[in-house]
Amino acid sequence: MNEIAIYINNLHKKYDQTVYAVQGIDLSIRKGEFYGLLGPNGAGKSTTINAITSLVRPTEGNIKVFDRDIVSDFRYARSKIGISPQEISNDWFFPVEQLLYFQAGFYGITKKDAKERIDFILHKVGLYNHKDKKMRQLSGGMKRRLQIARALAHNPEILILDEPTAGVDVALRHDLWNFLQELHKEGKTILLTTHYIDEAELLCERVGIINNGKLVAEDTVSNLKASTNKSKLEDVFLELTGRKLDD
Amino acid sequence: MIKNWIGFYTLSSREILRFFTVWKQTIIPGIVTTLLYIFVFGVALEDRISEIDGVSYKMYILPGLLMMNVITNSVANTASSMLQMKLLQTLPELLITPLSSLELSLSFIIGGTVRGFVNGILILFICIMAGMQIQDPISTIFIIFIVSWSFSSLGLFIGQMSDSWDQLALIQNFVLTPLSFLGGIFYSVQMLPEWGLTISKINPVFYTINSLRYSTLGVSDAPFISSMVFIVLFALLLTTLAVKTMESGKKIRF
Repeated sequence: MNEIAIYINNLHKKYDQTVYAVQGIDLSIRKGEFYGLLGPNGAGKSTTINAITSLVRPTEGNIKVFDRDIVSDFRYARSKIGISPQEISNDWFFPVEQLLYFQAGFYGITKKDAKERIDFILHKVGLYNHKDKKMRQLSGGMKRRLQIARALAHNPEILILDEPTAGVDVALRHDLWNFLQELHKEGKTILLTTHYIDEAELLCERVGIINNGKLVAEDTVSNLKASTNKSKLEDVFLELTGRKLDD
Repeated sequence: MIKNWIGFYTLSSREILRFFTVWKQTIIPGIVTTLLYIFVFGVALEDRISEIDGVSYKMYILPGLLMMNVITNSVANTASSMLQMKLLQTLPELLITPLSSLELSLSFIIGGTVRGFVNGILILFICIMAGMQIQDPISTIFIIFIVSWSFSSLGLFIGQMSDSWDQLALIQNFVLTPLSFLGGIFYSVQMLPEWGLTISKINPVFYTINSLRYSTLGVSDAPFISSMVFIVLFALLLTTLAVKTMESGKKIRF
């Protein structure tokens, strides 16, 4: 249980030679942990996540996944991670099921080997009856669920969810919460970024709060509340970031 | 070196299936355009235009038309696929998979090559139906393949470097189309003044048309062997350019 799934050491990222999006983040997420990364818009959450998946190249620092460097051992590191990005991707050309087969294939899984897993995921996210539809025929909520299904297609040990419930209705949000809790019970390591503090409070074992590219606090929800003498995580967040959520 | 063979096969298949799903946009237009050229130059104007190098004008332009289709289709496939993935946010999901830059690049290039090649072969059939007797079928097939590969690589580079459809159209309209037309599709470069001939000799499209014209009709403006050497080197150069640009992550990783 103490094995480290994601290890971030002194992460810096500077865009356009001037603007620091992330300034010296150190982070360790244990295997099987449900970790929440909170922060206002532009705090550096997505940059951090994108650095883990190597979409962003750090200016300084290094990242390891299960003790293997994400650059020198990129195939191993990437095969362990599934990500549901903040922006919904729109692949217009292929039906839902085919997209999942492609996704599994990119990770080196043959169609034959992927079939059982893909059927299971389609049922799990409630898209089995829509598997022959193309993306343009799906509702916003279905697209979001497909996004998560794609992240799970290769059965990764680590699931990274960048604002997975942004723009979805309350019922679907609760469905997704239940699903994520189920995945966590199965032993998946989950890294979640969200603007919904109640979501983090409900789901996450530990949370890290990022502000201006720095990790300003990190602990269990109860410890954070106790250390700041607040009854709600939202109040802790506001105190530590010194601003309102949508600033 | 390719290690993720299943991933490589999957992405290559995706790229091929992608253009086949929209065959009305990717296969039919080239055929229609070629038939129109054959009609206009072969039926309406041929009697008014004299032979070139002992070949009827209609026959003379067919290899150039075929090459133009191959170039347009192979460039368009990779360039549009890459740019579309960037704009529709599907590229990041691909870039985080355990596919290396080489595997990604070659998969895209294969997709564009197949589209260029399929279009080229279909137009070759039209040429045969129009009466063309191919002198060297093996070289003809090889030339169609290698030119598809080259321009598919170029398309990948262009797609990665472009930020919008406007930029892509700009390159296609103001670089590729002039290069194709000035490469000798409709005329022998020997008809040009000295300066025009010199410019043609630095135009890569000239060598592609020239080699195909020789392998199909047996006539050419430059030695066949040197044209072949040029197009093979050109393919290697553009493949390296596409792979290195992918490795650099320019405009796709930040």
